[in-house]
This record gives sequence, C-alpha cells and structure tokens, in this order.
Amino acid sequence: MITTEEEYILINRILAGEKQLYATLVDKYKSYAYTIAMKILENRSDAEEAAQDGFIKAFHYLKSFNRQAKFSTWLYRIVFNTAISYKRKVKPAFQSIETSIIEYSERADHQTEQDDKKIFIVKAMNRLNEADRLAIQLFYIKEFNMEEVAEMMGQNINTIKVRIHRARLRLADELKGLLKQEALTL
Amino acid sequence: MNKLSPAKEEELLRYLDGELETSHKIKLEAELQGAADLKERLEELRVIRSFLTSKATLETPPKTFTQKVMAGLDTQPVKSVFSPRKGLLLLMGVIIASVLALMLLSNGVFDQTNTSLLVDTTPIKNKWIQETTFSIPFNGKILVNGIIFLNLALALVLLDRTVLRPLFQKRSSVGY
Repeated sequence: MITTEEEYILINRILAGEKQLYATLVDKYKSYAYTIAMKILENRSDAEEAAQDGFIKAFHYLKSFNRQAKFSTWLYRIVFNTAISYKRKVKPAFQSIETSIIEYSERADHQTEQDDKKIFIVKAMNRLNEADRLAIQLFYIKEFNMEEVAEMMGQNINTIKVRIHRARLRLADELKGLLKQEALTL
Repeated sequence: MNKLSPAKEEELLRYLDGELETSHKIKLEAELQGAADLKERLEELRVIRSFLTSKATLETPPKTFTQKVMAGLDTQPVKSVFSPRKGLLLLMGVIIASVLALMLLSNGVFDQTNTSLLVDTTPIKNKWIQETTFSIPFNGKILVNGIIFLNLALALVLLDRTVLRPLFQKRSSVGY
C-alpha cells in the first residue's frame, strides 16, 4: 500500500515522462472506480468502459491535479462524471412495476424471508430518485465517507447527508408497504 | 402505526449509526421499551441498514482492466471545441457589438446611407461597356438591421450552448 506522499512522488514521475508508472495508480484504485461506475450504469461492460475512460482522462489532466484534495477523490469525481455522461448516452431499460411484482411472486416459494426482503429492498432502491440512490450507494461503499461522496457528486455535504437519511427512511417505508402488500395477497 | 416526527426518525437513524451520546442513547432505549411504534420503525430501519452494509462490497473489474487503460493512454480524450469560457467571451462580444450597432442606428448614423450603386458612373463604363447599365439600391439601415438580427440569433445559440445546456445537463445528472 502506498502512502499519500509516495503517491505524489509517483505522480511527479509520471508527469516527468514515466507513464508506465500510472499502472500502479490504476491497480490501486480500479476496484473503487469500477464500483462507482457500476452503481451509476448498472451494467458491467458499460461500467468497465466508463471507468477506463475516467482513468485515461485523469492521466491526460494529471497536470491540473492541484493536490489540495486526495488524488483518489479527484479521480473518483472524474470517473463519476464520465459514468454520468455514459448514462445519458445509454438508453435506460424499462421495467414496469407490475412485471417486477409478478417476477417476485413466482420466486417467492423458493426464497427465505431474508432473501425476500432483499428483493423488496432492491426494488425499493430502484424507485428512489437517482441522486438519492447514488448518494446512498456510494456512501455504503467501503471507505467512502460523506465528505468524499459530496466531493464526488459535486454537492454540499449537508445535501448529501439529507439525501442519505431521506433515502434510508424512504427505503424503510417502501419495504413496509411492499411487505404489507405481500401479506394481503397471501 | 402513527407517523413519527422527522426529528424522531433522525434520532433513530443516529442511534443505529452509533452517533448518539450515551445519555441520549439511554433515554431513547428507555423510550423504546414502552413504544411499539418506535420499536417497529427502528426494526425497519435496522433491516435497511444491514442490507446497505451487506451490499457495501467492491466490484471486481476484469483482469485486463489495467492493461486496457495503459493501452489507451496515447489516445487523447475528446475535448470540447467550444469551451464555456470561450463561449461566454464570444457571447459578450456579440452582445456588445449588437448594442453598439443599435445605438448607432437609433442615433440616425445610417439614415444617410440610402443610395444606389450606379454602374453608369464608373470610369470603365464608356470604355468597356456600351450597353445601358443598371443600378443597385443600397440601404445602410436595412443592412445594419439584418446584421443586428443575425447577431442576436448568434447570441441565442451561444447562450444555449454555453450557459443553458450545461446548466440543465448538470441539474439532470444529479436528479434535482
């Protein structure tokens, strides 16, 4: 694991022309970058392409990295924006609520209660507004704190806090509603 | 179940996140003993929290990920030809030019430019052209009006590209 100081030295060497060293930074941050892109695009190949594109952009703009923030935060913001641009280009797949409920009913007999709840929460998550969903998903990725999520999404930390709390309450409401609906159909 | 107040729900979230001070926590735990509604809501929020925590795993990118990035480093990212800064400067220039032209127009500077371009009066007429020539009417005011109109159309396009479109794209991307 390289420290922040070592990372700055590495960046200086990359900027001086040793571009092969960039692979060290890619290896260190690729899982996070890929996960961010996956949360936004929800598709492996698109996420891979967007995350790679983000790394390539970061390499070309490395000179403009002012070292006031962490390199990782700066990089994740680039990946986040790149994935958002990809999302605008990709046509969203439509799935009606009715279809999803039917899918659930067919599978209900084979799931444990815990699995059922998970399915419900995933469905409830998809009903959140996109910014709230992304805020909550990014916040619950290992090691991301609220400040980092705020910087990544280019929003105020208080806005992110409100988004995360609102999303958690909304998910709880949705889960209760869906379970109640399920109980009525039994 | 009665709807809890937003403050109480916030308290439950902070309790689950371990953010409450000990005295506050003890008070809430005592309150939970006698309130079925509160207990039920806490349980719902706990389920959500444990689900979100369990989903907090990192995705594993394909093995060739780093290789592909390194292979792509020589390709320059597509830069926007029209940077917002350049666009705004151009927009200001267009607006200033239009305002100046309007001021000159309203001061009647172009009122005296009603004329005809007569080919008959040119020195080459007698020497080279024997036939009857024609004249072209020229009105400076109409010309300047046309230029101002084109300038305003250009200003609208610039406003759209440099201010409105990026603003709405940013807003839609964060889902306001």
